[in-house]
Amino acid sequence: MRKSVLDHLLDWSGRIVLISILGFVLLPFVVVAIASLNDGAILSFPPKSWSLRWYANAFEYRDFGAGLVNSLRIAAVGATIALIAGAGFAYVFNRYDFMFKGLLNTVLMSPLIIPNFTIGLGLLILSTAASLPRSIWLVIAVHVVIVLPFVVRSVYVSLKNFERRYEQAAESLGGTPLHVLLTITLPLLLPGLISGALFAAILSFNEFTASLYVVNQRTQTLPVAMYNYVREYADPTLAALSVIYVAPVAAMLLLVHKFFRLEKVLNVD
Amino acid sequence: MLTEISAIAPQDTGEDTAVQIDGVSKSFSGTVALEPIRLKVRRGEFLTLLGPSGCGKTTLLNLIAGFLEADEGELFIDHDLVTQVPPHQRKIGIVFQNYALFPHMSVAQNVAYGLRTRRVPKAETAERVREALALVKLEDFADRRPRQLSGGQQQRVALARALVIRPRVLLLDEPFSALDRNLRSAMQVELREIQSRLGLTTVFVTHDQSEALSMSDRIAVMSRGRIRQIGTPSQIYDRPENHFVSTFVGDANLFAATLLEKTDATASLDIGTTRLSLATFQEELPEPGPVTLFVRPEQCSLTDPDQPGAIAATVALSVYQGSYAELHLDCSVAENGRVMLRVPASEAMEPGTDVGIALPERGPAIYTTTERET
Amino acid sequence: MSKRPFLGWFASPSILIAFGIAASFLAIVQFSLRAHIPGALDPGGFTLDNFTTLWKTVYGKAFVTTVLLCWWTALFTLLIGYPLAYAMVRAKSARLRSAILLISLTPLFLGEIVRTYSWMIVLGNRGFLNATLMQLGVIDRPLDLMFTMTGVVIALVHFTLPIVVVMLAAALSHIDRNLERAATSLGAGRIRCFLTVTLPLSIPGIVTATSTAFAWTFSAFATPQMIGGGKVQTISTLVYQVGFASFNFPLAASLSLVGLLFTIAVLALFNTGIHRLERIGAH
Ligand SMILES: Nc1ncnc2c1ncn2[C@@H]1O[C@H](COP(=O)(O)OP(=O)(O)OP(=O)(O)O)[C@@H](O)[C@H]1O
Ligand SMILES: [Mg+2]
Repeated sequence: MRKSVLDHLLDWSGRIVLISILGFVLLPFVVVAIASLNDGAILSFPPKSWSLRWYANAFEYRDFGAGLVNSLRIAAVGATIALIAGAGFAYVFNRYDFMFKGLLNTVLMSPLIIPNFTIGLGLLILSTAASLPRSIWLVIAVHVVIVLPFVVRSVYVSLKNFERRYEQAAESLGGTPLHVLLTITLPLLLPGLISGALFAAILSFNEFTASLYVVNQRTQTLPVAMYNYVREYADPTLAALSVIYVAPVAAMLLLVHKFFRLEKVLNVD
Repeated sequence: MLTEISAIAPQDTGEDTAVQIDGVSKSFSGTVALEPIRLKVRRGEFLTLLGPSGCGKTTLLNLIAGFLEADEGELFIDHDLVTQVPPHQRKIGIVFQNYALFPHMSVAQNVAYGLRTRRVPKAETAERVREALALVKLEDFADRRPRQLSGGQQQRVALARALVIRPRVLLLDEPFSALDRNLRSAMQVELREIQSRLGLTTVFVTHDQSEALSMSDRIAVMSRGRIRQIGTPSQIYDRPENHFVSTFVGDANLFAATLLEKTDATASLDIGTTRLSLATFQEELPEPGPVTLFVRPEQCSLTDPDQPGAIAATVALSVYQGSYAELHLDCSVAENGRVMLRVPASEAMEPGTDVGIALPERGPAIYTTTERET
Repeated sequence: MSKRPFLGWFASPSILIAFGIAASFLAIVQFSLRAHIPGALDPGGFTLDNFTTLWKTVYGKAFVTTVLLCWWTALFTLLIGYPLAYAMVRAKSARLRSAILLISLTPLFLGEIVRTYSWMIVLGNRGFLNATLMQLGVIDRPLDLMFTMTGVVIALVHFTLPIVVVMLAAALSHIDRNLERAATSLGAGRIRCFLTVTLPLSIPGIVTATSTAFAWTFSAFATPQMIGGGKVQTISTLVYQVGFASFNFPLAASLSLVGLLFTIAVLALFNTGIHRLERIGAH
């Protein structure tokens, strides 16, 4: 079949549009990478001289190290709690009818609609009213609330596609409900559970707005530490940190993609 | 294909009951899936539940297995009341249509699962798994994963997995419907051999009537959540008790008739303008009035249209089937306007030919017309 | 026998969390009805003053700004996201599809701060864009991008693009390709086929994507805060300012509450739109 001139025109303009959009998406990250190598304390394009000193600075700056440790702890603990609570809820929501099921679902999913700053403010007011200390647990609580809906969705999708016959076969072979849960249901749901937890961890690691409301100097997360840095200094340290930041997140994302294919996870296959 | 009734004659299984279903019923949020069912499965017998899609076969099987809870009624397995017993304590083997082999376990681990849950010692487990795999001729596949097996092999693993626990009853839900034709008949023979060798009480679900006729000791024909007839394959085929069974199992020609008079041995009726006197196998005939006369194609024969007692018809279509031809006849007194019968391929006739249909004097059945249902 | 094994065990953690969410929501409602005592963190007695205060121009302006931001962001994100989603779903090689998907998702996974900071470097007066354009001689004075609506919208489009692409791609990938083939076989050219078959069938996806873009923009904080730099006040930046600059938490609570109700109303509107579209589609 021969293509007409119009077809060629469409093909080429399509390619150009696609490349420019992808360029738009990647532009800031490329620019920030260039800026991080700028030797001067004041940014200029193109940089007049190059150096790696801002990377050294990023590593030395105390708040970043402390923030990273906090963020990793919060992401790990928060994702674990969200996984346990979310998977449990997805299971009972998928399998059973019980009182207030719909209401429970609405409340747990509401953080998808409620702006993060409202969630942060709400839990801040609540903890103050209950005279709870502003500890790291408050930050973790905020993160659990925010990432929980994503875990529930991920696990729920796996459960919906789960073949109940496996469990019935196992039961007919003498497996008690607990035995079946441990030897059949959990192993087969593992991909959904892991991808849910990984998503939760990435989201939690990146969360900024709600955290800003509930952290203090001691519990501040890496994004909050970065925000505070920009407000005080204009040098390219943060550009260097951004480049460093990309590495672990990209690695995690590629990992998810390799094992579970993002197209599947996101239902766009 | 027609009446290939099992070579294995219905065995004399005695009267020992392995499964007893006593008025068990089930509704799903208001819609009735199963009316109260009464059914006894004899020990060692191969019983088939046959019926159209949605008639409640799987529901009944799930009730026996314990995956569903009965709304009412009682269920006994080996004379033990099990109505409230959870599935994992019922000691039942089950094989599903899509096999449900655990994808994260090897073939051997799949088969061993039911022994592990019962804490059978390691050595004995290994021995019994080996035996079970030998029984289904899969010794060499123990270490494969299910997805590395063909459909027929997966089916056999599922069977071995169900058999290894020495179940009190084996339940199979359309186990062969995903297999191609040749493999299906091979598996049918294999299953029947294993079943009779082990003397295993078996409840088999299918909607394939030829499968039911060829494999079963007895068949329970179901429709709309009820059992319409239970009997040996030949009872079901030759003496269907009602309109539904007659049309669901095998091919049927139905004539609109008027029953004039009935005596013990014969019935006299009008079919259109033709008056006939017939002997049926039925113990009870409907009341005089409009009825449906049921005749198998092989009970009808072709005659001259002018022959007394012949029913007039015209050849509409002749379908070549290899060893025989199906003749489809237009017939004004047939309930759906058509009659079908089979003739040797060499005797196929041109469309448009006028013919007469001769009905046998013994054999046809008479049903009340109102009983029709799908 | 237990007919619902694990129900209690599995449901209780989430019930606990649900109580937490409900309680914090009630805390906001409660605070929004309390008087602010300057200098004190604890609120005073019950009052409706906070809601009457919201009629002041600052807050009204923030509402208008937020809605405008939502509108422009949703519009441009759709215009950019649709071709991207289309190219992804129709990509001939699986490699290309994965590549487009991964690139589209990067903004989502790099977090608000890295992303916004990067845009500050691009958009600043001496930033990448202005420096490049001036060196090329296209302009001779830097464009005002920082601290303007334009700059904020650009960064917000970048922010909402991933989720919009994912939603549009999901909608597009569920359109039966045979419908397009049928249209082509009936003589429709590629453009006509797109306009008469693909685009109309993806409208429900477009509406869902738009409503999500709207909700995301509404709750965005870092971008308007850092790129707007106080010149572009939205509800989110105002809540933070009222809370942490003047410690007027009752007012912050009432502002959040009104914002939340507004979001719910808008999303409900979108929802009825989707239902109506689905009903039309059913005929
Ligand atoms: N879990 C359920 N919820 C609601 N209705 C159900 C459920 N399971 C079965 N039914 C209904 O009960 C009736 C009987 O279903 P069942 O699965 O037993 O039919 P079946 O004879 O096995 O059919 P098939 O040959 O298609 O497998 C059907 O009308 C079905 O729609
Ligand atoms: Mg069934």
